[in-house]
Amino acid sequence: MSSLSNLLIPAVLFFALGCIARLIKSDLRFPPDLAKMLSIYLLMAIGLHGGYELAKADMMTAINSILWALALGISLPIIGYLLLIVTRKVNPLDAAAISAHYGSVSAGTFLTAIAYLDNSGVSYETYPLIMLAVMESPAIIVGLILASKARQLQAVRGGDGLSSGAVAINNGDEEHGNNNFGTLLREAFTNGSVVVLIGSMIIGAISLPSGMNKLFPFINDIFMGALCLFLFEMGMVAAKRIGDFRQVGLVLAAFGIVMPLIGGVLGVFIGNNILGFSVGGSTLVAVLGASASYIAVPPAMRLAIPEANPSFYLTLSLGITFPFNVIVGIPLYHNLAQVLAG
Amino acid sequence: MVNLFPEKLLTIITIDLMEEKLVQSFKKYGVSGYTILRARGEGSSGQPSDMSGFDANILVKVILPEERLDGLLGSLERKIRKGYHMTVFIADVQVMTPEKFDKTLR
Repeated sequence: MSSLSNLLIPAVLFFALGCIARLIKSDLRFPPDLAKMLSIYLLMAIGLHGGYELAKADMMTAINSILWALALGISLPIIGYLLLIVTRKVNPLDAAAISAHYGSVSAGTFLTAIAYLDNSGVSYETYPLIMLAVMESPAIIVGLILASKARQLQAVRGGDGLSSGAVAINNGDEEHGNNNFGTLLREAFTNGSVVVLIGSMIIGAISLPSGMNKLFPFINDIFMGALCLFLFEMGMVAAKRIGDFRQVGLVLAAFGIVMPLIGGVLGVFIGNNILGFSVGGSTLVAVLGASASYIAVPPAMRLAIPEANPSFYLTLSLGITFPFNVIVGIPLYHNLAQVLAG
Repeated sequence: MVNLFPEKLLTIITIDLMEEKLVQSFKKYGVSGYTILRARGEGSSGQPSDMSGFDANILVKVILPEERLDGLLGSLERKIRKGYHMTVFIADVQVMTPEKFDKTLR
């Protein structure tokens, strides 16, 4: 069964080890900035590699991929927001913050999917990589627009204990760099992951092949080892979040599984039927649709929607959706892509 | 006996993401300097996972004359009302070089 073979990849096994280490209360602790360092390395390596391949790629397909990535990044948070509002389990500001995570992407999940495809000997296009870079930011903007709508709604309804948002709007002093839309846009698009990824892609695309050859040991040979370390730590962080499960509640936890399924199905469809990618490429687009950000979006939401409860969005994206995608989602989207491709 | 002079010590515990906003306020309200440390601990909302730019705490210390305290506290209060989580407390301290705390940051 293919879901089992997904579990037997070192990267995924290290993720499990991280979870276990945390659950058995091991004293294992990674140096504080290791995950951050590794994620910079991983983005840089995948960016260089992707840029190198993309330089040989077809411009039209690339532009098409970018447009569809934007469409996914904008529509997914809106779908998520509406779903969350319907459940009535969270207030609109929490819903806005959570849904922004689901419109954005998780590079960790994407890289695990690449490890899975490599392991299964499935080839894939490099276009999904540009989509990964494109999809980091739009959802943040959509989330903030939803949040400002939610604040206006609450301001109209007046004091219900949640009126802090209303106070925030009326009070224009130095704290409000983030109510200024220009600043928001700039922050969303100058986000560290986006700069590393797009910058590395450009470097990979314009560098001379002889120079790139020298880099290959750095970006290829040790890549999977770095991914293992990264997922090892992410397993510990995720397991820590699972403890907050009770706080989140069953309905929200279910959202953490239903939402990636919706995004995954949309993604497979876009990859296979619209962009005409292979099974591997469509699987990657599905993973982009399904994954929820846990690196770029949480800090952005924390600063821009301080009223929202971080344990909701962190637990959902990191404690539920990420493990779900790594263990169940990726093989599922792969199967789906195979079915759709006929 | 060394001469000591009274000042106020303001301590803030918050997420590391707040650093930039806090420093802006410090400059606006005429603080002479500040010290930031990385902090760990546990509170009513659990333990931060200690990943920087994500879920790590800082401890911020500022020494300032009492007459400059109000403006800064007002700005912190507005942040807290907006929903930012911050633990803020003030203590009386004595310093050896009061002139140091009269200057302001650029």
